[in-house]
Amino acid sequence: MPKKSNLKKVLILGSGPIVIGQACEFDYSGTQACKAIMKEGIEVVLVNSNPATIMTDPEIATKTYIEPLKPEFLEKILEKERPQAIIPTLGGQTALNLALELHEKGILKKYNVELLGATPEVIRAAEDREIFRGILDQVGAKYPRSFLVRTYEYGLEVATELGYPLILRPNYTLGGGGGGIAYSPEEYRSMIIQALHESPTSEVLVEESIIGWKEFELEVMRDYKGTFVVVCNIENVDPCGVHTGDSITVAPQMTLTDQQYQEMRDEAYKIINLVGIQTGGANVQFAVEPVTGQRVVIEMNPRVSRSSALASKATGFPIAKIAALLALGYSLDELKNDITRSTPSSYEPALDYVVTKIPRFAFEKFQGSKDLLTTQMKSVGEVMGIGRTFKESLMKSLLSLEFHPEGIPDVAYTPEQLSYPNSQRIWAVFQIFRDGKTIEDVQELTMIDPWFLEQIQQIVVFEKRFAKEFKFDENKKDESYRILLDAKRMGFSDARIAKLVGRKDADILALRNKWDLHPKYSRVDTCAAEFESNTPYLYSSYWATKSELPTFNKPVAVIGSGPNRIGQGIEFDYSCVRGVKAIQRNNTPVIMINSNPETVSTDYDTSDLLFFEPLTAECVTEVLTATGAQGFISQLGGQTPINITKKLLKNGFNLLGSTMETIDLAEDRGLFSDICKKIGLRIPKSAMVGGYSQALEAQTDVGFPMICRPSFVLGGRRMEVLENPDELKSYFERHKDYISDDKPCLMDQFLEGALEVDVDIIRGKDWNLVGGIIEHIEAAGVHSGDSMGVIPPQRLKDSTCEKIEELSRILADEIKIIGFMNLQMAIKDDVIYVLEANPRSSRSVPFIAKATGIPLVDLGVEAILGKTKKELNLEKYNWRNIKNVCVKGVVFPFKKFSESDSILGPEMKSTGESMGRGADYSEALMKAFISSHVKLPSKGEVFFSLREKDKDLLLPIAREIKSMGYQLSATTGTAAYFNENGLECTSLRKVHEGRPHCVDHIRKGNVSLVINTTTGRKAIEASFDIRRACIDYSIPCITESDASVAFLIALKKRNEGSFDVTSL
Amino acid sequence: MTKGFLVLETGECYEGNILNSSSGTVDFERAGEVVFNTSNTGYEEIATDPSYFSQIIVMTAPQQGNYGISKDFWESKDIHIQGFIALEIQQSPREHSWVNQLIKYKVPMLSGLDTRDLTMRLRGGGTPWGAIVVAENAAMAKTKAEKLIQAKRGIDKDWVYAVSAKNNEVIKGENASGPRVAIIDLGTKQNIVRLALRYSGEIKLFNSRATPVEINAYNPQAILLTNGPGDPADVKVAAETTRSFIGKRPIYGICMGHQILCLALGAKTYKLKFGHRGSNHPIKDEVINRIYVSSQNHGYAVDPKTLPADVKITHTNLNDQSVAGIYSKEKNILGIQYHPEACPGPHEAQGLFGFFFDEMVANYKF
Repeated sequence: MPKKSNLKKVLILGSGPIVIGQACEFDYSGTQACKAIMKEGIEVVLVNSNPATIMTDPEIATKTYIEPLKPEFLEKILEKERPQAIIPTLGGQTALNLALELHEKGILKKYNVELLGATPEVIRAAEDREIFRGILDQVGAKYPRSFLVRTYEYGLEVATELGYPLILRPNYTLGGGGGGIAYSPEEYRSMIIQALHESPTSEVLVEESIIGWKEFELEVMRDYKGTFVVVCNIENVDPCGVHTGDSITVAPQMTLTDQQYQEMRDEAYKIINLVGIQTGGANVQFAVEPVTGQRVVIEMNPRVSRSSALASKATGFPIAKIAALLALGYSLDELKNDITRSTPSSYEPALDYVVTKIPRFAFEKFQGSKDLLTTQMKSVGEVMGIGRTFKESLMKSLLSLEFHPEGIPDVAYTPEQLSYPNSQRIWAVFQIFRDGKTIEDVQELTMIDPWFLEQIQQIVVFEKRFAKEFKFDENKKDESYRILLDAKRMGFSDARIAKLVGRKDADILALRNKWDLHPKYSRVDTCAAEFESNTPYLYSSYWATKSELPTFNKPVAVIGSGPNRIGQGIEFDYSCVRGVKAIQRNNTPVIMINSNPETVSTDYDTSDLLFFEPLTAECVTEVLTATGAQGFISQLGGQTPINITKKLLKNGFNLLGSTMETIDLAEDRGLFSDICKKIGLRIPKSAMVGGYSQALEAQTDVGFPMICRPSFVLGGRRMEVLENPDELKSYFERHKDYISDDKPCLMDQFLEGALEVDVDIIRGKDWNLVGGIIEHIEAAGVHSGDSMGVIPPQRLKDSTCEKIEELSRILADEIKIIGFMNLQMAIKDDVIYVLEANPRSSRSVPFIAKATGIPLVDLGVEAILGKTKKELNLEKYNWRNIKNVCVKGVVFPFKKFSESDSILGPEMKSTGESMGRGADYSEALMKAFISSHVKLPSKGEVFFSLREKDKDLLLPIAREIKSMGYQLSATTGTAAYFNENGLECTSLRKVHEGRPHCVDHIRKGNVSLVINTTTGRKAIEASFDIRRACIDYSIPCITESDASVAFLIALKKRNEGSFDVTSL
Repeated sequence: MTKGFLVLETGECYEGNILNSSSGTVDFERAGEVVFNTSNTGYEEIATDPSYFSQIIVMTAPQQGNYGISKDFWESKDIHIQGFIALEIQQSPREHSWVNQLIKYKVPMLSGLDTRDLTMRLRGGGTPWGAIVVAENAAMAKTKAEKLIQAKRGIDKDWVYAVSAKNNEVIKGENASGPRVAIIDLGTKQNIVRLALRYSGEIKLFNSRATPVEINAYNPQAILLTNGPGDPADVKVAAETTRSFIGKRPIYGICMGHQILCLALGAKTYKLKFGHRGSNHPIKDEVINRIYVSSQNHGYAVDPKTLPADVKITHTNLNDQSVAGIYSKEKNILGIQYHPEACPGPHEAQGLFGFFFDEMVANYKF
């Protein structure tokens, strides 16, 4: 019986938009917790500003508020809802910090709300390093020598005392934000300023270095009775010095003796008790000196975390769910283990397999930023691979990264890539062993524990033997079956095997089919087979001799979206999870296949059969074969499933929804433009050229401005907007190495100043439905994922909207979409251009679904399953009936990439989105900015630096800002223009005009808002320092004229002070 | 590596690799009761725990031998297991490797097999006898194994006696004012002795067949019955000896010691289907009033229905509700089915030593 049986209503805090260090793992935790609490008959009020989550789906909680996670908004919600308690431990650091603020402002007391799971004292004890160190002293635990620094001067003093390298850890920041390692006094001096600035309390712990020590993490739970369990112990392959979120990690730990491990466990137990955690989950990080075994505590978090999500997936122990139930007053022994359904939760999972997590990075998106890993987290996603051995699990997780189908391709590397941790290091380790280096050599370079290096070396040694001994001859099964089996057991993909023996991967598959060499599926059962498992959470292994598959009648497989990356994130997990539920409602069992441990889709609760597998054609083929699936759905998981669809079709599986022909029509540039021409749709003028001379011929046809990009460069790099023939010439000079007849350059007409829209449409065999039109706030030229958006459109005429809908329907009919299609269009001078079509669910689907209340994913799935108009009650869905205005806000990770430019362009850089819901545009905008962590300053100085053509446009904006009581400053030219037009404005030097210049002025803290528009490579480079200063000092910086109009609207609303909160 | 098999008496054959030393192939083959253990770490403690006498250990955690060896982890003077099976055993040219250690003690190792499948067999059908043999094929393996199993089954069933101390060693304790403790060695793990020494003035180890007269001659202030291997019903003398001390001396029985204590009380024991072996079993402890995770290793348990009414079941295994411990204030006895001394496993039950010495023994009026 729960101790707190009088609880009727609780409020759960989410973690807000996805940022580096706080991603969809909190959607997983929060969703699980909401479901568990609802099941107890307790009302749940959920607050989260992130529309892309499953968590904010109206069906998850009793009431869902998509509102900013800030005290004033929470106060309104508390006033309206009057919950008895808040659970702050499920929404990451954001939720903990918010809970602490609510406590400190007396809001909790005012509304008589209790904090469950973590009290303010606990939050402070874990987060405030001075208090925490006091606790460690009491426990007798050791920690690295360090000093709490509050001033620059004291910071210099302690650095001399501790010596270099030094680790900087600002208090109360996410994912180690603002921290890092300083190797020299020069580096340290600039870092300490930054770190002091980053910490909301201006406190930085400066710590002696434990670089090279082994790092471990214990995921623990405790209930009110004092029962303590370690759910999972995790070892980092990358030693200390790399943020644990950026490290390759393994569970269970591999290199500690039982004695060392139990001492660590004892210490964790003591710490949890002294910190005062009454109930819930926590993690404690340790470092162990590799030779002496000396142990220190790094930190602890009194909440569920990224690693607790990983631990849940790694063990089958649902940490967040149990944490929520413990908060309600249950004890661990009262809660059954979900997987065995017979034993209690007061046990520790035993693993008979190995789990490896590898982070996924996005350095290529941030030009200028160095690919170096430090104590500040930089990865944007992660994958998990499950195998019976470390080798199998490592190789499966490398495949899951979707980096290369071979998993461990041959690579070129530099010695620095081994000695300085970076995103490519693991492949360099493989390669250096191929080059014959010893474990000692590599250990000296990388400081990685020899046990791990030995495993990698064994893979490489085997690889060489395989290449020599394996005979590709289907009649020689006797000779070659065994070595092929050994290769598969080690985790070699067909693609890598094919490469080693000079074949195609299809040949290897054919041989395996002939020899009946396939993986079997084992269960993640929490208990190493000691008890029967009732939950089909499965992974493949070539070590397994029997599959533990339940039988289902004609299941449908949903292919997930793999690791989060910029451009493909949580939105696609939303589609997958909603999709699974929709299929299940049609009485069809669902197989979910995914490799991302942070997601809701990989909760064993979501589907009927969960396969934790790399999303390669090979692995998905095996799952589809083993389960006898009636078909698979590629439309829900973003681009990942689309990319393997062709191979799956070739292997004989049944694609549900739009056919491959339809997908090709939408994705192939040439085919798509032919179709558009055929049905009279306008597309931007374009040309493909192999060099400058051809470009000269094409330039008049395409016209200026134009966007140029080499077609074979990934991630939209080298993409530039060109304004005139001079820039065209310079572009081809600078990029000539990337452009040739076989690697042509795309030249597209750039629709300057055009309005862009996103349209999501569903088409069934005899019906279609437009989900909505999102009008972008920034003009064309900014990637749709990076631009803010609003629904319903604020600037488009109704007639244009109707026309857009009509064209969308025609196009969907013409290419015979069955299921989802996302369109991007641009509107200039009332002319509609189609820019892009995606034959799948899209990033904007969850946003539209939540803004309009239309269950878009469900309808898409009905379409895919062949439902006719008659079977669906479509009349009730009309996106124009939307009552509120909803604005999509965007968050960027520029802070983490210290050399990168924050200017927006055609390449996506944002990690997450927020939603502002309001009665009108201004309220929605204001909330979207606040939720995206953009400050709306109520007073101060606004600095302008404008390109020539924006000056006229932005003059009225500047005038209005001035009239609102802000001071104006601007670069020399802009200031002269303002003053000429009767607008008083301080003139500041540009950087090249000598010091003190505008950047000095900004960095001194004199400016509270920057509006900086610029075009052309040179001008962009020249103004880089302005934008970078804003990022470093968290000053809002608007780089586009339409965005500044929107910002002004939000600013006015903010200064007016009124707002309301409403639930979905 | 050589091709090898684990053959069960019920006929199943599991093919794997027999691990060899760098100096040559392995020619030793052994039989034993095949049991599985779910601990992730502690292979050396497990192999040297006399309770595993005559058993072949299947480690469900797939990577074993990772951290080498150390004499510090030995729980007795010998390696008692008859075979060591894990999916992958670290075999690198390290000097002090686990593989070399087992080879030195002529313990066969089998790796490269589906240990999960094997575990499910043991879970489903109980723990049979089996043998690890080197063979070209399954048929040959079966023939070899049958003989080995038969021979091994023929040994005296009082396994406890086989591993019990033969010389009555006296060791000075760490607590000068502490009690004199008679430890009836049923196959003790060293950590029981180490922990007892912490609280005792002196300890004396007695053989499992020591008589009350011998023990009385030492005039102990407390009696400790240790862990040990096999079926408690097959252990000779110890239960009768224990019975003569009930009510007269504080008694603390651990694992086999607990079972012997219960037999002395007139209770019966029974064989568990596949036993409890691991470091993750939840225990409800009504003596120190907590629920915690424990270290376990036993194949038999006490039938709760057969315990006398004045003895309270104070410890319960929450996985299967089996008896995990008993306590009687009147009789001043404490029996614990699992391993408060840990090694390997969590330390949370170690407080029971404190309870025994600081309360049961300290408050006892002679």
